[in-house]
Amino acid sequence: MSAPIAQPEPATQPGPAAQRLPTLLSSCALATTAAEARYRITAPAFARRSSRVIALDRQSRGIVRDMGGRSWGGGHFLVFESALPDDALLRHAGTGGTALLSEELDGADTVVMVASAGANAEAASIIGDAAAARGIMSAGLVLPDGAGVNKVVAALRPNAMVLVVLRDVADVPEVLSALRV
Amino acid sequence: MLKQEINDLLTQTGPGTPMGDMFRQYWIPALLAEELPENDCPPVRVKLLSERLIAFRDSDGRYGLMDEFCAHRGVSLWFGRNEESGLRCSYHGWKYDVNGQCVEIPSEPDERHSSLCSKIKLKSYPMVKIGDVLWTYMGDPATTPDLPQWEFARVPAEQSFTSKRWQECNWLQALEGGIDSSHVSWLHSDGLKNDPLFKGAKGNKYNLADMKPFFEVVESEGGLFIGVRRNAEEGHYYWRITPWVMPSFTMIPPRGDHPIHGHFWIPIDDENCWVFTYDYHPVRPLSESEVQHMKDGHGVHNEFVPGTYRPLQNKDNDYLMDRAAQKRGDTYSGIKGISMQDASLQESMGPIVDRAKERLVSTDSGIIMARRKLWRAVEALRDEGVTPPGVDVRHQEVRSAAIVLPKDQSFIEGCAEVLRVRPGEKHASV
Repeated sequence: MSAPIAQPEPATQPGPAAQRLPTLLSSCALATTAAEARYRITAPAFARRSSRVIALDRQSRGIVRDMGGRSWGGGHFLVFESALPDDALLRHAGTGGTALLSEELDGADTVVMVASAGANAEAASIIGDAAAARGIMSAGLVLPDGAGVNKVVAALRPNAMVLVVLRDVADVPEVLSALRV
Repeated sequence: MLKQEINDLLTQTGPGTPMGDMFRQYWIPALLAEELPENDCPPVRVKLLSERLIAFRDSDGRYGLMDEFCAHRGVSLWFGRNEESGLRCSYHGWKYDVNGQCVEIPSEPDERHSSLCSKIKLKSYPMVKIGDVLWTYMGDPATTPDLPQWEFARVPAEQSFTSKRWQECNWLQALEGGIDSSHVSWLHSDGLKNDPLFKGAKGNKYNLADMKPFFEVVESEGGLFIGVRRNAEEGHYYWRITPWVMPSFTMIPPRGDHPIHGHFWIPIDDENCWVFTYDYHPVRPLSESEVQHMKDGHGVHNEFVPGTYRPLQNKDNDYLMDRAAQKRGDTYSGIKGISMQDASLQESMGPIVDRAKERLVSTDSGIIMARRKLWRAVEALRDEGVTPPGVDVRHQEVRSAAIVLPKDQSFIEGCAEVLRVRPGEKHASV
């Protein structure tokens, strides 16, 4: 029978004893090396994201339509059309078909509102409230628009957990890509 | 999520790399001034942006930063003699001035001496002392920018304190921790209650009462402003606004009348970086107790392995993980101190984190935008020679802020004045 492997005292206090601890297989010193990174599990740890990207006004509608024509993961690209009692009418940017907000939010995990100067606070409020009621993370991307930005930000602020004010429209797809929309 | 080639673009800073070229557009912190405390003091080895360098202070008080190795046989000049206005190699006595110019080859006959010397020059970079820091510019001398204007380095000496520590991971994942405002409520929750450099501020109550903050990210000329808002009194939000200035400067929003603090992350090589950490007060000297707390590792500073800039808590001792303290709730992660709470987790990602595998959420928008700005600037410099944001000293004249605003007021609108340096005026803090 082999002798048990000696284990060091846990390093809970600073001092010379802690400095002398050997490097063990489980210690941070080894675990953080580039060599150990090879053994990180590569199996996907998350299901496909299901995002809804919704344009709130005319200018953002064009951008969302443009993005909707590209290849994305599980994202739906939509345009806000009108408010309905306890709901809203949306239009798919690609196909042009209509959908109810409530239907689109079923199964969604992220809602990204895209807005510019023409964005109306009512649309943001309806979408933001509906997302909050379902526990869905909501974010707002505000397009570059000079003097009108503050008004848009104020309209979106109560309804989006995160707001990003952009200086370049070209950043919109990059931000969505980073979020794996 | 970031494609591997973009991850490589942003994380590699050696000579000839696009991001390396971008870092070489700026004056960057190279050393603490305390490392070269007097004329003819011992030279210091320093690696920056994957270049091995030697720093010294000559007999006339001039600072030199140059190739670490003697042009003759490749010996390290760290073994050299710093004397009579130059650094002399211990092997055969070759001597260099602060510009890397060889000024003496004792073994050569006099008649050949001067012509040979004039042809030997080590690569060198300018180094200047501003505040507690020695700054260097490693780019093209023809485009040397104006000297840095960061307020922490420009206030009177008694109003500022700077430390530095070695962090064992790539600079970008360390920087990203500095603009990731969403982790503060969790990882650093103990600091607001207990740390002598944070506690007592009214703003802490807002922090602790509202654990689900909202975020706003706004681009600035030099980088970003990242605003985090929490509920305050009726009709008002409590805002904490962090500026990030490219490439790697951040300033944490203040608390009460405590000094303001922040960091500079400077690549040593692609798998290590220096974290320069400053604390300053714009209008008053730091008190003796504040400075002592900083030296003792409180606030955003840390304790060191004696005689080094390596943190006392490091990966070789598992950062002195204290599971009992974690269980009691004294600390959230079991690691003591804000800086080491951050460093332990950032180093655990590995030397260079694989960003193709990450799963960002919308509260990571500050990180997403920072990467995007870096990427854009690197490409603009590489492809069109555009000077990147943050080189212009006006971009450096920023402050963080903590402020209560009416709910309908944009922080950019409400804080336009207080987010700029106003010499002699106090910072906006709650």
